[in-house]
Amino acid sequence: MADSFTKSSTTRKLIVRDSITFLSLATITIVLFVVTLFLFRSFQEHRAELAVRWSDRGLTALRQNRPEQAITCYRTALSYAPGEWNYELSLAEALARANRTEEAYNYFIGLREIRPGDGFINLQLAHLAASKQDVQAAVNFYRASIYGDWEGDGAKRRREVRLELARYLIEQKRPEMAKTELLVVGGNAPDDPNLDATLGHMLEQAAAPSEAMDFFQRALTVQPDNPVVLSQAGRLAYRLGDYKAAVSLLERSAEARSGDEKNAGILAKARRILQLIPSELLPSHERVDRILTDRTIAKARWNTCSSSTHAGASQSSLQTLAARWMGPDATTSRSALLHDSDKQRSALQLIYDTEIQTRQFCGAPTGDDELLLRLAQDNAAKGGSH
Amino acid sequence: MPSIPGREERILLLLSIFIGVISGLLVVSFRMAIEWLNVLLLGSSLGPRQLRLLIVPTMVGLVVAALTRFAFPEVRGSGINQTKAAMYIHNGYISFRTVCGKFLLSALAIGGGHSLGPEDPSLQIGAGVASAISRRLQLSKARMRIFAPVGAAAGLAAAFNAPISAILFVIEEVIGQWSADVLGSIVLATIASVVVARWFWGAEPMFRVPAVNLRDPRELLAYAVLGIFGGVASLAFSKSLEYLRPKLKSASASWQMLQPAVAGFLVGCIGYFGLPQVMGAGYDVIDQAMHAQFAWKMLMVLAIFKIIATTLSFSSGTPGGMFAPTLFIGAMLGASVGSFEKLFFPHLTGSVGSYALVGMGVLFAAFLRAPFTSVFMVMEVSGNYSIVVPVILANAIAYLISRSLQPVPIFEVLTHEDGLYLPSMEEQREERDLHLEDALKPIVAPVLQGSETISNAMRSLVDYGEIQSSSPILIHCRDGLWYTATKEELDRLSSEASADHGNFRDVSLDEKLGAERTPLLFPDLPLSSALPHFRRWRLLPVTHRALRGALEGAVTLQDVLQRYQQH
Repeated sequence: MADSFTKSSTTRKLIVRDSITFLSLATITIVLFVVTLFLFRSFQEHRAELAVRWSDRGLTALRQNRPEQAITCYRTALSYAPGEWNYELSLAEALARANRTEEAYNYFIGLREIRPGDGFINLQLAHLAASKQDVQAAVNFYRASIYGDWEGDGAKRRREVRLELARYLIEQKRPEMAKTELLVVGGNAPDDPNLDATLGHMLEQAAAPSEAMDFFQRALTVQPDNPVVLSQAGRLAYRLGDYKAAVSLLERSAEARSGDEKNAGILAKARRILQLIPSELLPSHERVDRILTDRTIAKARWNTCSSSTHAGASQSSLQTLAARWMGPDATTSRSALLHDSDKQRSALQLIYDTEIQTRQFCGAPTGDDELLLRLAQDNAAKGGSH
Repeated sequence: MPSIPGREERILLLLSIFIGVISGLLVVSFRMAIEWLNVLLLGSSLGPRQLRLLIVPTMVGLVVAALTRFAFPEVRGSGINQTKAAMYIHNGYISFRTVCGKFLLSALAIGGGHSLGPEDPSLQIGAGVASAISRRLQLSKARMRIFAPVGAAAGLAAAFNAPISAILFVIEEVIGQWSADVLGSIVLATIASVVVARWFWGAEPMFRVPAVNLRDPRELLAYAVLGIFGGVASLAFSKSLEYLRPKLKSASASWQMLQPAVAGFLVGCIGYFGLPQVMGAGYDVIDQAMHAQFAWKMLMVLAIFKIIATTLSFSSGTPGGMFAPTLFIGAMLGASVGSFEKLFFPHLTGSVGSYALVGMGVLFAAFLRAPFTSVFMVMEVSGNYSIVVPVILANAIAYLISRSLQPVPIFEVLTHEDGLYLPSMEEQREERDLHLEDALKPIVAPVLQGSETISNAMRSLVDYGEIQSSSPILIHCRDGLWYTATKEELDRLSSEASADHGNFRDVSLDEKLGAERTPLLFPDLPLSSALPHFRRWRLLPVTHRALRGALEGAVTLQDVLQRYQQH
């Protein structure tokens, strides 16, 4: 009986003691939790403040073109706000601007793994790959950027990136690929004369002059007096051998904006070519007059060149040419030329051959000879007809 | 006070949750304290050529040394061995003063730039909380011993935000065995502490690891190379600690007081002259290395100087852990190998981050000698399972190199230096248990069939020649089991049968033996499992598991004892 009483008393005491202990533990836990929470909030706020402070410093450093300092600032900011996307991007950008290409590349690659479709990241990677001379990777990243996500005006950003890709391809001597990209831009572009002018200029660089002229024409349809486009189109027309169009465009350009000496020079040459060119469309007597004028110019060039070239060192081609200048093509009379188109062609061929060959032995011609040489080259390109 | 039967079992699980929550809160506060102190003492951005890099660790070293000497003498070291010592030597006792001291001085040292980490102190803080609570409840010594590792797991889990790794580490390195009665408590405490830690810090993995893809199996060669590097680096790390720590410990008391300050100054010099990354725990630097922000040569330099800095800080007796430095060194080595591969073998696809991650596991396996934990740790801290194959390969190589070149694990070396001899978990793991097959002998005793009549059996025995009365005789009963009789016993049965029936020829042997049989033993059973049966049986037949009754051999007590003596 006494044992049983002692046992139940002990049990009661233990239960009470355990209950008090657990109550104390619960109280301690709650107090500790509240204190920790209070400290943690303050701690987090302070960290957030530090992150903002350091990112602001980074931004300032970037604006002041001090990327190395910006790197330190953004790294510190990220240590207080790990994973903050904007800081990550800024840090990567700072690395790239500090020419720490490899680090920046790796960093952007890491970011790309998080957001593989981000247009900006892919564009930055394209820049870095380009600076690493990794052409294929650069092109791939440019394409990923074009098809990636962009904040704001996505269509405009994609167009800009595509133009940048085309520019890069032109630099890399891949004009065909560049032309394709440019035509895609042109196909999707809104009516914007500036963009058309840019496309025209770039297509010209991408060895697509006729497509370039189309875009210049499109630009001029909207802005017929745009002096820059007129000038670019005029020069392109000159290069294409369309001297009438060149004169017209360059004259309009000069009217819209006078004082461009280079344009004036090309304009003068184009006008003079129009005076020299023995076009088949001209009346016969006028064509023959021009052939005779051109022959006189070519003859003078030949005389100068042959006298300055050592006889012993003369090449067989020059000897052949000398023989031709002694032959009938050099002396055919006006009336003979008027009645015989074959003789006209022979005389013209002598003129062109003279200009082409004297350039090889006596250096680049100037004045009318330069223009005749140009006509000779046009003639060769067109298969022998003007 | 007398206890109520079953009381401790009932309150154990509830207590485990309290231990987990309180440990979690303390570890969160501990991490906060470290970061606060870091910003306050070293400024919000570490950079070389800052004078405070020299002054702060030195002054912190002086303060830590003074407080360690006069106020908290038990806080030296990382905390793991101290927790093991508490469990194996002091019945789970860790004083509250030690917990406070560990919290304050470790936070001060790590925040002040010493090259140490917060995980091992967190482990000890958790163990200390558990010890204090179990003392308050006046639990038995056995329970108090169990509670220390429960708290340790909770503390480590909160520090690492990795519950599985914490449980495995405590089992692998502190307890040394899977024990059902403690596992439930450990799991509960760990979950509670991780829930608390995640409530504050968020559920994100500790490291932001880029995607890991092992597309080209040839890349495993690079991971194998990383394993070799890791093994060698862990050896260098262990050897440098093994060399410097006893030298510093044997110095005079006054010189010992100055050691943390000198170590702090030297670590500060490393930071001042260009490598501030080695100061403190260095998690942000690990993150940067994972995201390929350093060149491979720089990463290699950081790994080397981290070994030097940690050796200095730890050997000087400054309280703080080895986990974070180990992970740091591993991450730098891994990222270095990864960056090198990217540079010279660009066709391989592994990211630098994945190499850094594997590197962490490699050092963990080789230096801390916790191979199992290391694999799970890597997966848990990264939240990435696809890395498992490279991790296992590299960890295994590093572990084997480390084991063969440094047979005694570093934590054991440190305990020996402290004059303690705690059980070696690695030796326990490696210890091979003896089985019955190791003592098994061919059957030389006579074998009789239980289906025979006693007269026939006695006649069969004659064929075996002279048999001593105490010699064992094996009888194969009809139920497939065996009975080990003696000659004397058979003679007695024979005469009893003769007396009972007049004509004993009709009584079979196993009928006469009754229901008793020798125990069923198989060759793969522990050798010790035979011991209790030798009181009754002189010879124990060992049978095939699949073929009932087919004899594999037999063992005697003498055979078993001889085998143990050879072990």
